[in-house]
Amino acid sequence: MKKPATLIYGLEEMPPPFITISNGIQHVGLIAINLVFPLLVFRAAGTPLDLIGGLLSSGLVVLGIGTFLQAYRLGPIGSGYMCPSTFTATYLAPSLLAAKIGGLPLVFGMTLFSGVLEAAIAPLLNRLRAIFPPEISGLVILLIGMSIGTSGLRLVLAPGAEPLSGAEWLVAGATLVTMVGLNVWGVGTLRMLCALIGLVIGYIAAGFAGLFGTTFVAVHDADWIGFPIPAHLAWAFDATMIAPFAIASVAAALKAAGTIALCQRMNDADWVRPEMGSTTRGVLADGAATAVAGLMGAVGTNTSTPGVGLAAAIGVGSRPVAYAVAVLFVLLAFFPKLTALLAIMPRAVMVSALLFTATFIIINGIQVISSRLLDARRSMIIGFSMVAGISVDIFPSLSAAAPKMFMPVVGSPLVFGTVIALGLNLLFRIGVRRTVNLTLDQPEGAHQRIDDFFVRQGAAWGARPDVIKRAIFGVTQLVDAVDENCRKEGPMTVTASFDEFNLDIRLAYQGALLEFPEQRPSADDIRAGLEGMRRLAGFMLRRNADRIASERAGDRVVVHFHFDH
Amino acid sequence: MELVEIRRDPLVIVEPRGRIDTVAAEPFGNRLTELIRSGSRHMLIDLQHVIYISSAGFRALLIAGKLAEESNAKLVLCGLSAEIKRLFEIGTFMDLFTICASREDGMVKAQ
Repeated sequence: MKKPATLIYGLEEMPPPFITISNGIQHVGLIAINLVFPLLVFRAAGTPLDLIGGLLSSGLVVLGIGTFLQAYRLGPIGSGYMCPSTFTATYLAPSLLAAKIGGLPLVFGMTLFSGVLEAAIAPLLNRLRAIFPPEISGLVILLIGMSIGTSGLRLVLAPGAEPLSGAEWLVAGATLVTMVGLNVWGVGTLRMLCALIGLVIGYIAAGFAGLFGTTFVAVHDADWIGFPIPAHLAWAFDATMIAPFAIASVAAALKAAGTIALCQRMNDADWVRPEMGSTTRGVLADGAATAVAGLMGAVGTNTSTPGVGLAAAIGVGSRPVAYAVAVLFVLLAFFPKLTALLAIMPRAVMVSALLFTATFIIINGIQVISSRLLDARRSMIIGFSMVAGISVDIFPSLSAAAPKMFMPVVGSPLVFGTVIALGLNLLFRIGVRRTVNLTLDQPEGAHQRIDDFFVRQGAAWGARPDVIKRAIFGVTQLVDAVDENCRKEGPMTVTASFDEFNLDIRLAYQGALLEFPEQRPSADDIRAGLEGMRRLAGFMLRRNADRIASERAGDRVVVHFHFDH
Repeated sequence: MELVEIRRDPLVIVEPRGRIDTVAAEPFGNRLTELIRSGSRHMLIDLQHVIYISSAGFRALLIAGKLAEESNAKLVLCGLSAEIKRLFEIGTFMDLFTICASREDGMVKAQ
């Protein structure tokens, strides 16, 4: 692992105590906003205010444990990276549903189930890509973002919800304007902590507007220091809730894998592609943290992508900072006044926090969807599933009319949209040929035909654009080099096979073998003539593919390119 | 490939467009050589519209680079897209040329 120049303190380095602690505080501040998710679930379950504080304290301990597990590498658990835990929007929709159906015991029981499931699928993660390709992961993220936004608006706009008073509008506006303003026009720490600062401003505004009312008694009555003990813990399980929580588990596992890949890239200047060893251990730790959350009376957790982003921006990716974050979370849990203050968050502040969070998740989803080439089939999978998901919120009467056992599927935009996408993905696989051929018989127009062939096939396969670009360059350069140097006769045939993990290309022609040297010819050799140019072509082709081989088969030469996908 | 030339005395900006493949590399290289031989001492090659460079294209650039060096001329490249930059990297050519991120930087560097 080579430390990149942008990193001041690498993974194994120990920054001075001041840097370690101040970085830890910044991370905790960044993550604190996500306490809004368990808070929303606890309120949805009708939990009394005096119990919510204890549950939030317990949740802080869970985040400490999760951050520690991720960094420490306890046996097969833990990626070893500075990758803090956070409460996640991924589990929000299923948890709200569970809170409505079976109260907190069902939330905790299903959270425990989700954690165990995520840990179980960690070793299978790479294989999941075939049935859960990135564009569907992106759709899931997009639907999660939309469900957060609507969860926020439902607090104030749902039928039966008390309309926002003038004072509440002002507080919501002040909170949102602070968050958005600092994010768009702020710099440095102000920008990074915009959500937390917005929350503080919202609380102050709510205090002036008298929005806390009698709830502030709970803060007044809470002790300054106390043990984080969650009261009345109980667990329940409901088979009808498996689908929504399983989808959230898979989404959390994929997100954790993505965040850990980000950690790998941040810490290694020579990073090329995700290293599955630490990814699997990291997803296992992420699942374990969610299981612990279920056991200790909290909602599902996940790796914090903004946390890793913050580490990259500051240039401090040291493991000791992760330990500092873990200790700070646990310490905060010993201040009941703080968690009581969080527990009485006015809905005007909460709705702004949820709307602000939703925007970034929605865009993240769109970016993941567009990370693949999309043909008509894949466009329809995304389009139909998105409409299906949205329709659940717009036409609640449709899901209300469905049999009760299907309620967890058709009653949730996230679950319904994902199920439709997975079904269509399986259906549309019919007729997509995994192996395709192209014959190049004329040098004229060959380049355009190679381009069109791979772009069309890449979209049908849902391949990564960067891999398709490498394939196009490889085939085009080989055609050029063979035409120029190998006394080629007759057409060249191109056979491309794709299976989500590999793109293999076989090119066959009649002529001389092309050499693929490991060393580049010198600049003078290249300038000197055809021989240097031919060897340069071979050298570039070797470096362009992940593996390359050539052999003679009868009177034909066969060249194999392999690209990891 | 199409070749556009813009003169901002004493600077000559050469803008190849399309593919610098085996066929296009020869006229491209010849034109660069011709410009240097006819006295151009400040040249910027803007590759922003190039979608492919073959080994023959790199050879043309290397020949022009060497001739520029021998003639005390400045030859600067700019406008590399992510894919073209990747090709420079796999060919290990990044250190053999003066490469600027933007046309503006390239124009300053080539003066």
